[in-house]
Amino acid sequence: MSEPLPPIVHVVDDDVSFLAAISRLLRANGFSVKTYSSAHEFLAQRDTDTPGCVLADLQMPLMSGLDLQSALAQSPNPLPILFLTGHADIPSTVRAMRDGAEDFLEKRAPKEKLLDAVNRALTRDSRERAARERQLELRALFDALTERELEVLSHVVRGQLNKQIAADLGLHERTVKLHRTAITTKLKVQSVAELTRLTQEAGIFPELVETFPKGQ
Amino acid sequence: MSLITILWSMIASACLTLAAISFLTWGRNREAWANLFFSLLAAGTAAFAFCELGMMRAGTPAEFATVLKWGHVPTWLILVSLVGFARSYLKAGRKWLAWLACGLRTLALILNFLVGQNLNYREITGLRHISFLGESVQIADGVPNPWMLVGQMSLFALVVFLADASVTVWRRGDRHRALAVGGGAMFFMFFSTVQSVFVFWGIIRIPITASLSFMCLVLVMGYELSSDTLRASELARRLQKSEAGLHEIEERMRLAVEAADFGVLIRDFTRNEMWASERWRALLGFSETERLDLQKIFERIHPEDRKAVHLMVEKARSGYGVYDADLRVVLPSGEVRWVATRGRVEFDGAGKPAFARSVAHDITRQRKAEEETQNLRRELAHAGRVSMMGQLASALAHEINQPLGAILRNAEAAELFMQDKSPDLDEVRAILADIRKDDQRAGNVIDRMRGMLKRRSLDKRPVDVGELVREVAALICSDAAARHVTLDLAVAEHMPPVLGDTVHLQQVLLNLIVNGMDALDGSNGDRHVGVSAALNGAKTIEVAVNDSGRGVPADQLTHIFDPFFTTKTGGMGMGLPISRTIIEAHNGRLWAENRKEGGASFRFTLPVAEKDTAK
Repeated sequence: MSEPLPPIVHVVDDDVSFLAAISRLLRANGFSVKTYSSAHEFLAQRDTDTPGCVLADLQMPLMSGLDLQSALAQSPNPLPILFLTGHADIPSTVRAMRDGAEDFLEKRAPKEKLLDAVNRALTRDSRERAARERQLELRALFDALTERELEVLSHVVRGQLNKQIAADLGLHERTVKLHRTAITTKLKVQSVAELTRLTQEAGIFPELVETFPKGQ
Repeated sequence: MSLITILWSMIASACLTLAAISFLTWGRNREAWANLFFSLLAAGTAAFAFCELGMMRAGTPAEFATVLKWGHVPTWLILVSLVGFARSYLKAGRKWLAWLACGLRTLALILNFLVGQNLNYREITGLRHISFLGESVQIADGVPNPWMLVGQMSLFALVVFLADASVTVWRRGDRHRALAVGGGAMFFMFFSTVQSVFVFWGIIRIPITASLSFMCLVLVMGYELSSDTLRASELARRLQKSEAGLHEIEERMRLAVEAADFGVLIRDFTRNEMWASERWRALLGFSETERLDLQKIFERIHPEDRKAVHLMVEKARSGYGVYDADLRVVLPSGEVRWVATRGRVEFDGAGKPAFARSVAHDITRQRKAEEETQNLRRELAHAGRVSMMGQLASALAHEINQPLGAILRNAEAAELFMQDKSPDLDEVRAILADIRKDDQRAGNVIDRMRGMLKRRSLDKRPVDVGELVREVAALICSDAAARHVTLDLAVAEHMPPVLGDTVHLQQVLLNLIVNGMDALDGSNGDRHVGVSAALNGAKTIEVAVNDSGRGVPADQLTHIFDPFFTTKTGGMGMGLPISRTIIEAHNGRLWAENRKEGGASFRFTLPVAEKDTAK
């Protein structure tokens, strides 16, 4: 894992004057800022690896803030989005928030509120980014398991004993033991509890998600 | 008993019977003068028959002379009644001929008693026996009386009168009656006249048998009269039948009037009476038996409507003939009803009002519905104004917040910069310049909004239409973006200016663009509004606002410019009429059409400014 890049605040607004003003304020507060005068321009230039957040005007010609939000949601590394509006109307606000907007601010919102929102968005981004990375790591670990080992694992996380697993899969109890050793070695875990937690975190057996709370 | 006695007695009795029947008929219907005259004619004939018989059987010349003298009385009666009959039955014949015949006959009657033994003979010298119908009868020998001519002239006058009457009847088209009555009477009268001339002047020697002709006359006329009676009874029967039909029609009318819930009022001016149907009385709150008069009716009319109704009724009565009004009626209970009334005045021959008939109908419910609609429209208009104010306020807030937000952020940034130990003054100067620029921008927005809100008279100056379109587009673009509408501009370059009021023209264009965007509401496909401006010929600039909506239904293309015509739930229906008024005040034209590729196109033209005024 390389050293994390400094986060960038992407500001998208068709009002060039406001764009300049807000980027000055954000820079003065120590943020790295990139400005775009349209949603298209932003989507064309963005670099998915850099952490950050988007600060977009809701009302823009050609592609509105809400359209940008849906385009962003479909990309592999979505950035949290914050909306700015000259004058908020309820339907747009509701839609934006429902689709996961970080916040919805008026253009003349207090500075503190604005900076808090930006910070929150960046924190959320780094948290989501870390979660996504952990997910990738886990995937890599589980990818090392063979078909048979995954099959055994699915029985183990259900809490079955070696004997039961052997009977179910038509294997020798000894063979099951060998598979279990291989699994714990490959996944670098010590206990069944740890194994279960890891499996759940990786989301390997989605059908088990419901049964777990009962087992706990 | 001799044959002559039997024959003449039969003539007399037959005539008397007919006379009696006819007289009784006249007694029951005093206006049937023809019957009276016929009765007199028949009675006269009977009397004359007796006189003839008396002459034929006379024993001495003196007796003959006396009977002949008295025989002139029934003759007079026959002539006069025949004239009367012809006048009353045929309704024809010249009056002066009638008077002439009657006058001559009356003169003859007078002479009959004054001159000689009678009108016919100065003196009867002897009687002569001749054979008649196988019997021996008496005829006179004597000196003819020259005054007899008067009587015979009266007979000729009668014949001429009858001929004239027959011709008139014939010409009138009643040929049967002309032939039977007129022709018959003429023929028999002529026959007896000729006979009397020949006999009394001693040319031929036969007894007087005029009663035979008269009886034939009586029979013909009696036959005519009785067939008239038959016809009359047939007519009566038919009348009864048609009366039944009339009653049926009346009944149907009544049903229709009741079904339509109409009340009927009839006023008879000559008798000064009023009749009203039950429904009419109920409508105005009168009982079924209450006597109506104009005063009472007017008291029921709402005081505010009374004068107008009075004027209208007076106008109808003084010759206009019809009236038609919706008025309010106040019932004794205080309830107010709306009544629609339509009436007609009929005038008599002298132009005076004779009858007034009118119908009244309860329209309270329709009126209430109309009032509710009116109220609703007023509320809607108010709501429309409020919503327009709301939209303007919202647009204003948005437009103003943009530069204000920039100013705020710039100021905040500047504060932060100034906290530095060595502030970047160039940056701060740039910020201050930007603040000034944004302040200017906010000021412009306010000026523009104020201009749009203000009501002003036209202040015509040279206007660059391209500039106008771009300004309006700038004003509306954020609204368009919020509504996900793409605004396309296609403005031709180097267009000559037009003479107009910028603010008003902006208002028109803005209205058309907002309408275009409204037309896209609920459409998910292509959402764009195009504004184009170009020269159309050398003297006109045409501006078009096209949308990609569903277009205007063909039957509404002209109505959309009517005041209060609207298809929008919140619309007032005033935008297009006002826009049209403004464009027309600029000597231009505003119209709507549907585009082939779909959507509506609102277009207006403006004349290019004359060279000298454009400077």
